[in-house]
Amino acid sequence: MRWRLLLWGLLYLPASRAQGIDPDLLKIKNRMDSIVQFSASLKLNVDVSFINMPAKYARMSYTKGKPLKFSSEDFVMIPKRGLDFSLNSLMEFPFITVPRGEEIRNGKTYKAINIIPTDKRADFSIAMLLLDIKNNRVAETEINTKKDGTYNLLLQYENSSKVLPSLVEVNFEIEKIRIPLNFMGKDTDIDRKKMRTGGSKSGKIFLQISNYLIKYL
Amino acid sequence: MKALIKAEIFKLLRQSKTWYALAALLMIEGVILFSAYFQGKNILDILLDNLKKSFYFEGTLLNGNLLVYLILNTLWFHLPLILMIIVSGSLTAEYKDRTLQTIMLQPVSKWKFILSKYIVAIGFTLAVVGMLALTSFTLSYGLFGKGDLIVYLNTLNFFPSGDAFVRLQYAFVSGALSMVFFSVASLTLAVIFREATKTWIVSSLFLILSNLLLKVDFGDTIFNRVFFAKLNDTWQNFFYFNINWTLVYTNSLLLCGYSLLFMAIGILLFHKKDIG
Repeated sequence: MRWRLLLWGLLYLPASRAQGIDPDLLKIKNRMDSIVQFSASLKLNVDVSFINMPAKYARMSYTKGKPLKFSSEDFVMIPKRGLDFSLNSLMEFPFITVPRGEEIRNGKTYKAINIIPTDKRADFSIAMLLLDIKNNRVAETEINTKKDGTYNLLLQYENSSKVLPSLVEVNFEIEKIRIPLNFMGKDTDIDRKKMRTGGSKSGKIFLQISNYLIKYL
Repeated sequence: MKALIKAEIFKLLRQSKTWYALAALLMIEGVILFSAYFQGKNILDILLDNLKKSFYFEGTLLNGNLLVYLILNTLWFHLPLILMIIVSGSLTAEYKDRTLQTIMLQPVSKWKFILSKYIVAIGFTLAVVGMLALTSFTLSYGLFGKGDLIVYLNTLNFFPSGDAFVRLQYAFVSGALSMVFFSVASLTLAVIFREATKTWIVSSLFLILSNLLLKVDFGDTIFNRVFFAKLNDTWQNFFYFNINWTLVYTNSLLLCGYSLLFMAIGILLFHKKDIG
């Protein structure tokens, strides 16, 4: 009987633990879920080799359970990933977490975990999160999406008590396009396949977030 | 000289073809604006296609600024064609109607007479470009509003609305220099060919060749930088993210130089040639 228990422990216990959800992640999720509403000012700087865009300004507002809303007088490009501070998009469908030890960034130690969705409907295949368990928040995320490549998000906070970041750096992959010079002129037929010969490039977008107005539960 | 200029303006405004030309230009502008709206949709779709994967967009880029930019792209071919017909016609008509002989019987200096024609041609060209700029901005902003301008010139360049407006104005000024060049060239061709149809054909050929040669890359040579056909695209420099002002000033000065050269040749030939 003792041998059986030992065998069961060796075989099933690690698996059952791995397929649970990391308690630190749940703690952070709960903290995020305590935010019912927030609004903030947003300054966006795009750093993509083939895009020249001056800094853009927008207002963002979030209400729990609803998608983020943006308003601006300018034309702004909002990254598809990077502003989901509530972690809703990662936890929308059933998933498991796998501990990956610890990682050091700028002299600070973070807990690394993988989020692996167990539902086909999830739009990502795997995500890696660095958790700042001391301050109960996320410091870095790497999301491998099924269709839109990999996103790497670095989050910086104004101080240790803040729950929402003041600076988000979104790193992403983007396909470079090649369009003939003066294509906007007359009689130009554009072959999209030919245009897409520039290969894949990496891009960055820096989001400076300020003037938070947060409403908690 | 003043009297000659006044007389030339009077003749230009009195002839019905001037007004037909202006009406035609406004009509062309309207058609371009209409087609630019649909072309703009397609262009934005292509430009933003790969960005859609990574970004959501807030705000619209199909606005008055993009439409004025698209108008500019098309205008610089149609406009000189009509300008050349009107400007060269101001001299060929005088040859045809023999009014030139009547004028020359008066105590009028030949060079002053032809110089006044050049001055009025330049003034008329600038006025037409000014009118088209005004109507383009009014119609585009009135119908489609303001907004950021997106332009693809090796890189995707985004300009805030205010900046785009300034750049588009510069582009009209730069384009006006090209138009002046073509108008002056057509008057010089009228001095050479005298007959309306021949002048129009040669002027059209000159314009088409200039447009074709503009697209030919002669490599990194001085010829590629100073050849007159290559200078007619100077206005596009205002839509690079960082404007190369040295290049803009150099090209503009060269274009003015070419216009003066063509004018000098025309005056010289007119002075030497027998009127009869």
